[in-house]
Amino acid sequence: MLCENCKERPATVVFKQETSNDVIERHLCDKCAFYSQTFSFSPDQEPLSIQQFLAHWLGGSELFPEQKADERLPDGPKCPSCGLTFHRFLDIGKFGCAVCYETFKGQLPRVFAKLHNGHTQHRGKIPVSLNERFALKRKLEDIRTKMQEAVENERFEEAATLRDEANQVKQQLSDGGDDQHVI
Amino acid sequence: MSFEKFIKQELTGWMVAEGEHADIVLSTRIRLARNLQDYPFPISATQEDANDVSKALNQAVETMQDDHFTSITMEDLSPLERQILVEKHLVSPQLINPKKHGSVLLSEDETISIMVNEEDHIRIQCIYPGFQIDQAYEQADQVDSELEVNLNYAFDETFGYLTSCPSNTGTGMRASVMMHLPALTITKQIERIIPAISRLGMVVRGSYGEGSEALGNIYQISNQITLGKSEEEILKDLESISKRLIAHEKKSRELLLAKSEVHLENRLFRSLGTLTHSRILPSAEAAKCLSDVRLGIDLGIIENIDMTILNELMIFMQPGFLQQYAKEELTSDKRDILRAQLFRDRLGIERSAAQEKDNDSL
Ligand SMILES: [Zn+2]
Ligand SMILES: [Zn+2]
Repeated sequence: MLCENCKERPATVVFKQETSNDVIERHLCDKCAFYSQTFSFSPDQEPLSIQQFLAHWLGGSELFPEQKADERLPDGPKCPSCGLTFHRFLDIGKFGCAVCYETFKGQLPRVFAKLHNGHTQHRGKIPVSLNERFALKRKLEDIRTKMQEAVENERFEEAATLRDEANQVKQQLSDGGDDQHVI
Repeated sequence: MSFEKFIKQELTGWMVAEGEHADIVLSTRIRLARNLQDYPFPISATQEDANDVSKALNQAVETMQDDHFTSITMEDLSPLERQILVEKHLVSPQLINPKKHGSVLLSEDETISIMVNEEDHIRIQCIYPGFQIDQAYEQADQVDSELEVNLNYAFDETFGYLTSCPSNTGTGMRASVMMHLPALTITKQIERIIPAISRLGMVVRGSYGEGSEALGNIYQISNQITLGKSEEEILKDLESISKRLIAHEKKSRELLLAKSEVHLENRLFRSLGTLTHSRILPSAEAAKCLSDVRLGIDLGIIENIDMTILNELMIFMQPGFLQQYAKEELTSDKRDILRAQLFRDRLGIERSAAQEKDNDSL
């Protein structure tokens, strides 16, 4: 059943509202319930610490459903840079280095979804240096499209110029774009 | 040295009672967690790694334009000095762990502190007095953007800013608002509100002082989710929940007043009496009474006390500051006696009576 108010999220709370001659029941989601005037649901969720949370989750052996419960869990992938295993990561609840993210990439969406209300993808600030890389990539795509057109229309001289330009951008990209402020 | 002089020296920007909703909101804090791509996170770093990170950061900070920073290495401080930094909320308790190689870069007015080698390589923190979410974020964002010019941040197109703890991954941002919610606490509504808020991706925690003693009716509301929402969305959510809480607190105060004015007055004035006349004042009792007196001022029941003084007292009643003032280590009993003296002195009631007597005898 959907929330009567927003009709977006599932209804999780029943509100009883007394009017002059009747009692009305309203089915609301958490968010709408919170924003309605009265607080009248019971506390059942305490925020868990991340270690507690991951340990608890691992205890549910949800990660390796094919595994029998009495078998020891495998260590999972191991980070080539800092040596952290996925099993150990679940134990301590911390990554050892940036490469861990790449190493555990396959498992991480499930970890993040649990920790961040179902979200697994970053939305928000991006470092400027990375924005430059995005800009370079887009520029390269543009050049390639134009090159294609030039070739199709047999404007070979123009195509050659564009190819040189593309190589230049590719070079900038492989330099990491660190010291080059393109645009 | 008098308490007044000592406090004026040690005062830091956010303790002043100003900013929007300063009666209920004490301070607003933004923290951004960042790491350098090429070094292991502090949890698995060697001393050498930590030194390199610290060096890189000091260099990056030197090129920043508007702010001048002082670098303080934790190892160079006495345990008491470290504790003071924690009590001023300028560094986290984790940073002062002597086994780590932490340091902090402090801006002149202490509104910006950059912790180095805490759980992450870099934690940029901005604290403002009152309710100033946007201002605090703008400041932190600007510091972050300036640092990034010279540092190679660990960032991933899918996961965002890579942090040591997966609960910070994404924006790496923790935004929090510290609030005084006595009426919601007295009426026990807070017990229902806390779990409701946690389901909205926000967390409410009591603020703790010495050991596990909660500082009177002070709660910190902060975002729990850092991935999948932009900074602006997170801040907007925090803002709307905070405003909601402020409105609820105000309404509960009115209700309390309407329902039992005499009982409320009795409680608040007794607390004022305790703060102004005690000779021994344990921190838990001080925090409880401080909360009552704040409420009394907000409701117009108690007059002629400056809210800023109460904010100061909340910070300076802590063990680190008391010992710093006494310039020696104090047993908890001695601290309780000095704390009582601090309150009598700063709330000034006995002092003004004593001054009058002095004037008479002249
Ligand atoms: Zn709804
Ligand atoms: Zn690693």
